[in-house]
Amino acid sequence: MKRLLSILAAALMVAACSSDRDHILKVYNWSDYIDEELIGEFEQWYEEQTGEPVKVVYQTFDINETMLSKIEKGHEDYDVVCPSDYIIERMLRSDLALPINMDFGNTPNYIEGSLSPYLTKCLKDLKTGDKDASKYAVAYMWGTTGFIYNTKYVDPEDLRTWDALRNPKFADKIFVKDAARDIYSQIILYLKHDDIVAGKVTMEELLAVPSQENVDLVEKYLMQIKGQVAGYEADFGKDQMTQERGWISLNWSGDACWAIEEAAEVGVDLDYIVPDEGATVWFDGWVIPKYAKNTKAASYFINFMCKPENAIRNAEEIGYVSACGTSEILEHFRDEEYDPINLTYFFGEGADSVCINPVMYPAQEVIERCGLEHDWGEDSSMLIEMWSRVKGSNASVMTYIIIGALFVALVAGVVASRTKKSRRGKGKKRR
Amino acid sequence: MKKLFAQAYIWVLLVLLYAPIVFIAIFSFTEARTLGNWTGFSLELYKHIFTGGVSGGASLMAAIKNTLLIALVAATFSTLLGTVSAIGIYNLKGRKKKTIQFLNNIPMINPDVITGVSLFLLFVFLHFSQGYLTVILAHISFCTPYVVLSVMPKLGQMNPNIYEAALDLGATPSQALRKVLIPQLRPGMVSGFILAFTMSLDDFAVTFFTRGTIGLETLSTYIYADARKGGLTPELRPLMTLIFTIILVLLVIMNVRQARTKKTTR
Amino acid sequence: MSKRSNWAIPYFIFLVLFVVLPLVLIVVYALQDGNGHFTMSNVTRFFTDSDALSTFAVSVEVAIENTLICLLLGYPAAYILADKNLNKSAVTVILFILPMWINALMRTLATAELFNVFGFTLGKGTLLFGMVYDYLPFMIYPIYNVLLKMDKSYTEAASDLGATPVQVFGKVTLPLSMPGIFSGILMVFMPTVSTFAISEFLTNNKIKLFGTIIQENINSSMWNYGAALSLIMLVIIGLTTILLGGDEREVEGGTI
Repeated sequence: MKRLLSILAAALMVAACSSDRDHILKVYNWSDYIDEELIGEFEQWYEEQTGEPVKVVYQTFDINETMLSKIEKGHEDYDVVCPSDYIIERMLRSDLALPINMDFGNTPNYIEGSLSPYLTKCLKDLKTGDKDASKYAVAYMWGTTGFIYNTKYVDPEDLRTWDALRNPKFADKIFVKDAARDIYSQIILYLKHDDIVAGKVTMEELLAVPSQENVDLVEKYLMQIKGQVAGYEADFGKDQMTQERGWISLNWSGDACWAIEEAAEVGVDLDYIVPDEGATVWFDGWVIPKYAKNTKAASYFINFMCKPENAIRNAEEIGYVSACGTSEILEHFRDEEYDPINLTYFFGEGADSVCINPVMYPAQEVIERCGLEHDWGEDSSMLIEMWSRVKGSNASVMTYIIIGALFVALVAGVVASRTKKSRRGKGKKRR
Repeated sequence: MKKLFAQAYIWVLLVLLYAPIVFIAIFSFTEARTLGNWTGFSLELYKHIFTGGVSGGASLMAAIKNTLLIALVAATFSTLLGTVSAIGIYNLKGRKKKTIQFLNNIPMINPDVITGVSLFLLFVFLHFSQGYLTVILAHISFCTPYVVLSVMPKLGQMNPNIYEAALDLGATPSQALRKVLIPQLRPGMVSGFILAFTMSLDDFAVTFFTRGTIGLETLSTYIYADARKGGLTPELRPLMTLIFTIILVLLVIMNVRQARTKKTTR
Repeated sequence: MSKRSNWAIPYFIFLVLFVVLPLVLIVVYALQDGNGHFTMSNVTRFFTDSDALSTFAVSVEVAIENTLICLLLGYPAAYILADKNLNKSAVTVILFILPMWINALMRTLATAELFNVFGFTLGKGTLLFGMVYDYLPFMIYPIYNVLLKMDKSYTEAASDLGATPVQVFGKVTLPLSMPGIFSGILMVFMPTVSTFAISEFLTNNKIKLFGTIIQENINSSMWNYGAALSLIMLVIIGLTTILLGGDEREVEGGTI
């Protein structure tokens, strides 16, 4: 009995400990999106800087919309979240983001010093009314969207168009991100490429203005390629590529860097390409949601992640490219193996000819054919519904035949047993 | 001939059934991160269980500890609650008995997803913040019915007069309970406890819905989170092999014991 | 005596609080909109939601196929295991039940990995295969139990009276093992319809089952629609259980 009580006490203590909310920082981030050692180091650093203890509760998501609805509808009390660009815009519009307090007292403000001018511009582009995202979000990682491919099986010439998805050569070897908006954006850029060239429509309009007509076009296209796709993945696509189970993966450049490096270790040669029709540029940023309970630790956490050495460690660990653009970071990633490119847009003046991995830092001309995604507000449901129709419609004629057959069999079985019983009943009566 | 055919059928099924497990077990003894690559014999992955395997802030070891703690607490409470209730139900009659037995059956028939969703809604409705406590309560709710079902038959086999006799001879009710009733029910309680313990260990869906957002991971949720990232993490290979070996050893011990007691009683 | 029947009262309260109330809440949430007003729209939405409908149909199809395959493979196995002339050792029986103790997700992932290594494309076929792997023991065990407890004198009497082995099986053994078949079907069909996670792992997210949509909705905080979908599943489960008379039989799970 005593032992039992002690078990109970232990269980209650565990439960009680977790309710001390003031010293807890709830971080909700993409999975595989941080150097996990930095979480512990932050706890230490925070105590050094402010004298207050903090325990980070770190959780991950792998779909933007899941994260958003947890806050929007579930009112979850996460303190820091890491949504993508268009979700940041959405949170801004629905007043779900709190302004980030940049007053850190004696602690240096790493945020202002290190963010790249390109990402600062991107943040300012996300605006609603008189608010722009630069006060409410701090960019964390960024990149482009394109194809990761296996050089052994795939000729990059075939991948200069998004239409490679329809190429029968790659049947059953294609992995597609489980991200409704990213898929939509790339496909619509391909489908409307001629209109863009002819000047009938701009890239910005295509990505920012909701249109049922365009959604239908994309849905039709996606249904055509459904048979070609080997899987929809939230996070396992890069593994499938390094293990050569997939040849092509419609993916983010960050995953590409990670996969290329990982694959090289096992002797698989992968590469990354942004098709000629253009693609989306994306970034993820830290936001303090409306229902946060520990905003102080939250802003310190964001600050800590912008410290250049920490930005480098995160980038090294996860393979994505940090939104910070300081000279330390440039020096760290400089690699004479590559041809020089112009990166003034990202690192500022003086970076007009740097040798650096172009998968990580795309050249100016690639960025020029890319655009930013925007929030569709209430019309976002158009996209989400389209995507679940594409993924979900697996019922075939056979399905209904089988269900029908079972139903008929059941009815027949019930009727048969009834008549048997009644016959027996009659027999008894006669006797 | 007929026997040979029957034996062959059984063994083909068993080979198919065990193929994945054996396959994983073999490749738990090599370091290669990709399954199917053999890079020489190594126990590195076994060491990793205790040191590495960090995902979503919670280590594999922490997940295992949580799983065991939850299963232990839930099974203990279920056994107590289930035994007391079984005695009560056994002494009930008529419609009351039928009602409570019907209610007792619901958690066993309900699919995990429904149990999980319904309990999730309950905690949301009651504004109960979710964490260890809610997971344990949820586990008690689906484990207790199994304990009740394990203890009930033992009550039927028991002579009801013994308990009354103990009371007549001057035992206090609690003495009579401890000295007379419990020893008679112990086999049922033990099998109920084991059943509750394994049900809790194996649960995924109910834990998934009731664990809240405090970062609580059990083995199942850990595996789920990991698998969404890229299949079976290498560290899980040795873990699965270990679990399988432990179960195998336990079963062998149990069977040997059973065989022995049978012999001695004869 | 009446005093000890009071011992059931705490459990009764517990059951009401943790079993009945939660199920009532599913109905309540299913019939509410986000602001707590009464509405039927969640339920009607299901019947116009082509994604949910198609997923529902696929789940039922997979469950039917899985149950059939498990029955076809499992019945002979149970028959052989229960027959003293064909199988003498209890070890083989235990071997069939043993995998049930390994975490289901882990087993499923192991199966998926095996398919991957042998180069099968993950899809409908691998889904069925993996499901059969997971649920076959649940079919074998109840049938085995019934066959084992069956009075052998019936079959002996039948063959003494001149019935051929096929007739003995069709007229005596099979009808007598029906209760085992029913609980086997119950234990395979219902978990298959409601499972989540397993189908995604076995198909690279290409095929999702009904349990997954419920999970997705609840997880995305669309509680009302999630509750409505749960309600629909509850109705299916209730119907199946009544049809197979499952509530009168004890569910025999992982016990030996």
